[in-house]
Amino acid sequence: MTGVAHLRKPAVRVVMAALLALAAGSAQPDTSKGVFGLFGVGHLESTSGEVIYQQICQGCHMPDGRGAAGAGRYPALAGDRALLSAQFMAVTLIEGRRDMPAFGGKSQEGFSYMVPTLDDEQIAAVTNYVRTHFGNQFKGTISAAEVKALRRPH
Amino acid sequence: MKQDAIGAAMTRRQLLAMIGTCAGSAAMYQAMTSLGFAADSSFKGPTQLSAAPAGASVLILGAGIAGMVAAYELRKAGYRVQVLEYNARAGGRNWTLRGGDRYVELGGAAQECRFDPGLYINPGPWRLSHHHRGMLHYCKLLGVALEPFIQTNYQALVHNSRAFGGVPQRYRTVRADYQGHVAELLAKAAHAKALDDTVSTEDQERLLASLKAWGALDSNYRYAKGLTSSEVRGYDVSPGGGLSARPVYSEPVQLSEVVGSALWQGMLLAENYDMQMTMFQPVGGMGMVGQAFARELGPLIRYNAKVIDIAQDERGVSVTFEDTSQSMSRQTAHADWCVCTIPLSILGQIPMKVGAPLADAIAAVPYAASVKVGLQFKRRFWEEDEQIYGGITFTDLPISNISYPNYGFFSSGKGVLLGGYLFGLAAAEFTAMSPQERVAKAVEYGSRIHPQYPAEFENGISVAWHRSPFTLGCFGMWTEEARAKHYDNLCAIDGRIVLAGEHASYMPAWQEGALTSAVDAIDRLHRRALGASS
Repeated sequence: MTGVAHLRKPAVRVVMAALLALAAGSAQPDTSKGVFGLFGVGHLESTSGEVIYQQICQGCHMPDGRGAAGAGRYPALAGDRALLSAQFMAVTLIEGRRDMPAFGGKSQEGFSYMVPTLDDEQIAAVTNYVRTHFGNQFKGTISAAEVKALRRPH
Repeated sequence: MKQDAIGAAMTRRQLLAMIGTCAGSAAMYQAMTSLGFAADSSFKGPTQLSAAPAGASVLILGAGIAGMVAAYELRKAGYRVQVLEYNARAGGRNWTLRGGDRYVELGGAAQECRFDPGLYINPGPWRLSHHHRGMLHYCKLLGVALEPFIQTNYQALVHNSRAFGGVPQRYRTVRADYQGHVAELLAKAAHAKALDDTVSTEDQERLLASLKAWGALDSNYRYAKGLTSSEVRGYDVSPGGGLSARPVYSEPVQLSEVVGSALWQGMLLAENYDMQMTMFQPVGGMGMVGQAFARELGPLIRYNAKVIDIAQDERGVSVTFEDTSQSMSRQTAHADWCVCTIPLSILGQIPMKVGAPLADAIAAVPYAASVKVGLQFKRRFWEEDEQIYGGITFTDLPISNISYPNYGFFSSGKGVLLGGYLFGLAAAEFTAMSPQERVAKAVEYGSRIHPQYPAEFENGISVAWHRSPFTLGCFGMWTEEARAKHYDNLCAIDGRIVLAGEHASYMPAWQEGALTSAVDAIDRLHRRALGASS
């Protein structure tokens, strides 16, 4: 087997081994080719900032945007001065930040099946939503085109 | 299957590898054959540290598998050991929920587990490989009884809501049909001389013989309805005795349906190195391991201790913690050395006196979402109605898995299923729900696979790992890029502190990774301690 073993790196193997995700990203639905996966990561359809917040973000930042604390904590988005910058928030969504996964579709080899990705329009929508809800009244909005410009070239 | 997969460009080795692994796409093929890298657990038998320096002490942060293995072995070597644990119980992610347990997740939602006595779910790890030698060693050492964990059950189901009209298929038939069609195709390719450039005539003859047997092909190398295929995929009417049981052969599903349904993906997990049978589970739940360690270590573990600061200097380590059971009274523990097993998701928020390489490594690892849902039913309908005894059903629905209990077979009472084990977007969405919504959704989705659900369902409980107060996530997601840059720094001793846990291993999310990281870390720390004292 060594002749083909180099095709995949060990780190990917162990990830495959540890989890149920079977195809390490290759099993995402690909209806264009008439093939769809059984174990895709799934793609959120909505472009509503509110819906995206409620289906993904509030898992950690909580429905009221106030975060939560245990042995560690999730930061509150309500009243978070860092959100003064829409760009900061959008980049955080794209790139991830410390324990927070990257939602920008940045290649996370071996983990593409673990983290749903948001496109430019979705990132703009949820950024604009969070900056104007939960008591936040930050000025200005960000557009999908501006989000796109924040993405680092791969 | 991609066109080029049967093309002339393949070598014999690749061809045979493909047959062996049932790979269905180029990517899957690569992933599966990478198992060639597989090696046994790095655990090389019981740790035998030499005697500790006189009076030396170690403070261990976290009473999960890594922390308790470290505590056990360091105490044995003669160190004075203290363990600080955030929870009121030992085990960490090694955890079993049983009737009477109460779980409060981040955000404050509380759940009471209402399972009947003897029934449980493991919200975290739930299976041990036969080559996870470290875990097996400590189970034996601590008297934790093990029983088989059934990874593969041919009678269980594979389900794609967008194929076969949404009707679940038997693992047995999907496997047989997939294998049969692949074998037939390869036989055709050989007969059409498509393999002549790469496979010798002699080997092609052997290959054809093997394909015939492996794929249940008939004498004409066809995968077709008949005795041969029914002996693998099962019968419409199974053979029996007497006049009433003349067998009726079953009709194989066509290739396009088998491949197009993507159901072959449901077979691959069990082929994985870490999930090949035999697998084990502790009798009574995975949490039995953590409980056994806790009994062994006794008063060494201080519970309800929330670490808020980790300091060190040339003389020792000082860790400040709050006692969450005593209105947050603040205390400081001191020791010569520290083994820190706190998940990076939390550790990254704790002020810690370490160098930039370790601090950067701690900050480099995002944590994965995952959700498990346990459901209690009035009766074990999967056994009584469907002859499914243990094992796992796979589905494209958000619940992803239904796992049947690998214990208590044929008992007439109630049963608890793992009603969902979620990743990706589904896990994120379930995490964002209330615990009650998760259970309701798991019942709703499961009903599409087992129509008995609505009538038989009694109660359920769910654990969304990003809502877990003691981990803030399921496990550390190392990318190759991050690992290349930070992994060695994460594992290296910084002054008097060393990290351990699944995040400090090449086995993400596996207990064996946590265990072997602890064994590796204490061995290095011990040598450092000996050097420092001499």
